[in-house]
Amino acid sequence: MSKPIFELVDELPTGGLTVSALRSLDFVVPGEWNNLVGFDNTIRAVTGETDEALIQQIGERAITLFNDKSQGYQRALWLYETIDSTSGLLGTAALANKIGQDSFLGFLTHLTPKPEKLQSIDLSMKVVTELLAFCQINGIPGDSIGDFLASLADYGGESLMRMAALVCFDGLIPLGPDFAEKGLSFLRGSSPSDLESNASYKGIQELIPGSNSGEKLGFVTQSFDSVKGWMNGFVGSKGLTPQSVANNLQGVIEFSQDKFDYLAALLDMSVKYYRHTGIQTLARRLIERAYAEI
Amino acid sequence: MFNHWRRIFAPMLLCLVLFLTGCNLGPPPSRYAEVQKETTQRNAAPAVAKDATQGGQFNKFFPKGGAGYQVVAAQEKKGFAEYKVNKDGKNVATIAITDTTSIPGSADKFKASEAKIAGFPTVEKGANSTEVLVSDRYKVTVSSKDPSFTQADRKAWIQKVNLTGLSSLKS
Repeated sequence: MSKPIFELVDELPTGGLTVSALRSLDFVVPGEWNNLVGFDNTIRAVTGETDEALIQQIGERAITLFNDKSQGYQRALWLYETIDSTSGLLGTAALANKIGQDSFLGFLTHLTPKPEKLQSIDLSMKVVTELLAFCQINGIPGDSIGDFLASLADYGGESLMRMAALVCFDGLIPLGPDFAEKGLSFLRGSSPSDLESNASYKGIQELIPGSNSGEKLGFVTQSFDSVKGWMNGFVGSKGLTPQSVANNLQGVIEFSQDKFDYLAALLDMSVKYYRHTGIQTLARRLIERAYAEI
Repeated sequence: MFNHWRRIFAPMLLCLVLFLTGCNLGPPPSRYAEVQKETTQRNAAPAVAKDATQGGQFNKFFPKGGAGYQVVAAQEKKGFAEYKVNKDGKNVATIAITDTTSIPGSADKFKASEAKIAGFPTVEKGANSTEVLVSDRYKVTVSSKDPSFTQADRKAWIQKVNLTGLSSLKS
């Protein structure tokens, strides 16, 4: 049993590294994310209601829905939390690799995987996590694939900020401007055993459709391919570059411009944006449903 | 002298501990502590009724967009479906259909209502929602998400839902 949902939302931080790093992306999605924290605050913001008895009713229904495991909300939370904790391990591996390359400890590079391939798998795991969590929370809305994709494309608020952070922190910074093509080609060149040795995959693989890692790799590749266009469009329409993202992170994270590669690993280890914005998304959807149902 | 203090130290400490625990210096329990306890105990009732209608059955009754409005599918769960109403890329309202069998008592508020929309009993919920009840079971809720979407808009949009079709739904 996880922590109570109202405690998770109450305990979301208003400051700190994750929040500052996300705020540094305000230039990408201006006005979309205001870091709404607090369970009752979220009820008031989502519904616009102020009557305390009504707020109590809404909160109780939202908590009831969350606590019923069969409704899928706890699984969504688990996905958001797991992907952030395992990508931290990626950061550690990547940093060890980076230090290995730059110093006399060069033998380290033979012990740890190449960062770009690892980063590509991690990026695709985050894409898959978003897809799976979306389906756990919202079901598969609509009567057609078109309806479902429109629902997915209607992202706003903290969900859109999560995708912006995905593109910037997990795409552009570690893999550069052509991260989408690179990511896809790495995936296509990966074997099931590459996947099996990946910490992020190991964390969430039981929820990935497919009866073996070969089939799961197929699902992951297909999912990535289907959002590649959206990711490229997002970067293109906003003129995003690794440099513009890094410039906005100055003052949030200590790094020097020539140690750009370290930045990716540092972000992986210390910025838990999936968990933070994921909890915000989960709270909103629960409260929207609860408000309508009571 | 020292032995005297030692002899009374333990009872003094005991008194202090009892006093402090009796004072209950911890934070007050959450307003949700009760529901958290009820819904996490071993035989807690499920949140959604076993025979609740699948949300997918409601999709066909939602209106399509038009005249500057887009209607986008948002949620589809057991006993619940919700669509967003957007105007110029901004979310201005939501429309939801709920099977009230999952929430005992949620249909009762309509019994006292004499007001009707398209022949179905209606209530206002809070400051921002308008609801109708169809065939004593399915509730249609339109909620404003932007001040520009007024109560009059909510009533108009409730009528865009295929209420007659919904009333003939056999789950």
